[in-house]
Amino acid sequence: MTQTLELKIGWLYPTLMSTYGDRGNVIAIQQRAQWRGINVEVVPYDRDSEPDLIHQVDIMAGGGAQDRQQEIVMRDLAGAKAAAIKAKLDAGAPGVFTCGSPQLLGKFYEPGLGEKIEGMNIIDLETKHPGIDTQRCIGNVVFEITAKRLAAELTELLGGQKPLIVGFENHGGRTFLGPNAEALGKVVKGYGNNATDGTEGAFYHNAIATYSHGPLIPKNPFIADWMIKTALQNKYQTEIDLAPLDDSLADRARAAMLKRLEIN
Amino acid sequence: MQINLLDRIRLGIAVFAAKTITSTIRTFKLGAASVLPGTIGKRLHPQILTMLSQQIKYGVIVVAGTNGKTTTSLLLRDILEKDGWKVVHNEAGANLVNGLITTLLENTSLTGKLKADYGILEVDENVIPIVIPQLKPKYVLALNLFRDQLDRYGEVDTITYRWGKAIAELDGDTILVTNGDDPALAHLGQQLAAGAKPKQVKYFGLSEPELYLDEIPHAVDSIYCPSCGTALEYKGVYLSHQGDFDCPKCDFTKSKLSIDSKQWPQVLIGVYNKYNTLAAITVMESIGISTQVILDTITNFQAAFGRSEELVYNGKKVRILLTKNPASMNETIRAVSQVKQAGNEAVSLMVLNDRTPDGTDVSWIWDVDTEKFVNSGGTIVVSGDRVYDMALRLEYSKIDRDKGCKIIVKEDLKDAIDTALELTATTETLHIIPTYSAMLDVREILTGKKIL
Repeated sequence: MTQTLELKIGWLYPTLMSTYGDRGNVIAIQQRAQWRGINVEVVPYDRDSEPDLIHQVDIMAGGGAQDRQQEIVMRDLAGAKAAAIKAKLDAGAPGVFTCGSPQLLGKFYEPGLGEKIEGMNIIDLETKHPGIDTQRCIGNVVFEITAKRLAAELTELLGGQKPLIVGFENHGGRTFLGPNAEALGKVVKGYGNNATDGTEGAFYHNAIATYSHGPLIPKNPFIADWMIKTALQNKYQTEIDLAPLDDSLADRARAAMLKRLEIN
Repeated sequence: MQINLLDRIRLGIAVFAAKTITSTIRTFKLGAASVLPGTIGKRLHPQILTMLSQQIKYGVIVVAGTNGKTTTSLLLRDILEKDGWKVVHNEAGANLVNGLITTLLENTSLTGKLKADYGILEVDENVIPIVIPQLKPKYVLALNLFRDQLDRYGEVDTITYRWGKAIAELDGDTILVTNGDDPALAHLGQQLAAGAKPKQVKYFGLSEPELYLDEIPHAVDSIYCPSCGTALEYKGVYLSHQGDFDCPKCDFTKSKLSIDSKQWPQVLIGVYNKYNTLAAITVMESIGISTQVILDTITNFQAAFGRSEELVYNGKKVRILLTKNPASMNETIRAVSQVKQAGNEAVSLMVLNDRTPDGTDVSWIWDVDTEKFVNSGGTIVVSGDRVYDMALRLEYSKIDRDKGCKIIVKEDLKDAIDTALELTATTETLHIIPTYSAMLDVREILTGKKIL
């Protein structure tokens, strides 16, 4: 290819929403693209950003926030920004929303203390905190991606292996999917969306929403490759093949955790 | 403090029972007994913490903060002892309520009499609001507040609020000594000085712009004005969110520092230990300890275990830099980088565990700015329960995968230490950067004995 490819990553609220190392997802996507010679620009999408800025980016990433910060973000998103993000996702832009940020995409979040906060109402899901005295869902988590189209595309990318995610979850809220939402995966070990129905996360067009941080991507690098490939294909309207990278460290990190959790 | 006869008898029984049990545990080597006597004592006399601490002649100094409690407490203790005072100090780091009681009990006679001039108690940030009303301290030394194990502690601003409330309600002449470079703590000090029961407040901090960081680290928590919520303007940042700040919107600004950092040497290495030193000096000067005694103690200071502690192992020099959270890892790798620039020391060993005292969630390493450290060359050996997570963080810091430092992965800690030492020249020092439980493991290998 003669043309140098370019990728813009839109990072939602980098300072307000980066509590549990979630910038690791941005770093991993950026590095995996740069190591392949793709030019990358990281664009912060913040309180002082124009809503339309989101239309310039190719990939979106959002992380978790503490309750107070989450409330600031949710108020800021309401209206024009929510509409712009929805339009972008509906057009097929890949996104990764981890930790607390899936709650933003849903209908509402009811915190343990304080008032119910409206979400962007993009994905048919709602989140309720059962009260501050209820135990949080904390620990290492493993789930298999079951969202139909994503599972098929990732399985192909992995040469036939089923896409298993290894991560860490830490959330007080319990998320319940509505009839119009597709679960991202099913829990193998851990709590998942609500510790009861075995679902984890949600998948919407090309947006991945999950409680799993750790951060998500460094130990599950195929997610980044799928996002980069999808974003570049959207942008350049041509089939993109990414050169393979040495992922032996990630493989060993995954193997060590799967062994510890006694999962084959 | 006046204690009535009935209380005195109850206290005596509680002390007697708790002390007998401690000695039994120690005699039969059943454990270190660093908290159990406190548990028993509190059961037998609910006010035991107050009744014991009020007997300390010149009062208690409470040391609080996310990082630096142990080093600062040790420095305070060394200075006071050098000046000839008898000090009680929870040096084993048992900093929850029962650990504090146990420390005081150890210095109490069987009849409930505690003889000491000063008490130095380092206290867990979450326990501060509970123990402040009971201890009625003479000094509260609030060092800093960083993001650390959020699952356990909740938000940084919630903690500041709870500390402020506990101190504000005290009746006596408690003095707050706090970090004037930390916006949240500076605000806390200003509120307490202007409260209904105004407190005397002294601020320590740096006045050395040449130590400003090139940019604000990613893992900052308090860059918004604690008074009006506007983003603060910084002339420069010394460490995390600590620096020379000003609010562009309201009248919140820094208070005048009580100390000129340029006039004093520091203990150990790193800017974080400069802060610890200044914190201790500010309290000691306020008490009236002479400059000479303070300077002598700083010069001869020996580190607490694992905190910039220097050891020799198989003829090679080793320095252990305990690392607990993004702020402390940023600072330990900065200190090592400074040593690297000054000489040629280029081998480090990073050990990441995920046991309860370390925090079970290791995602915080991605909030650390490891990029400069990795791209400045040298060798980093990696080990610990989460060796591959640490290795991945370092690998993803590389601008060019074929350049930067060499990363060597060793699952087995002994193997990792041996490898790192072999690569370290005899004229150089190996820097080991472990999390808490990893630090204990490293020390056990290096010294051949367990400490806790």
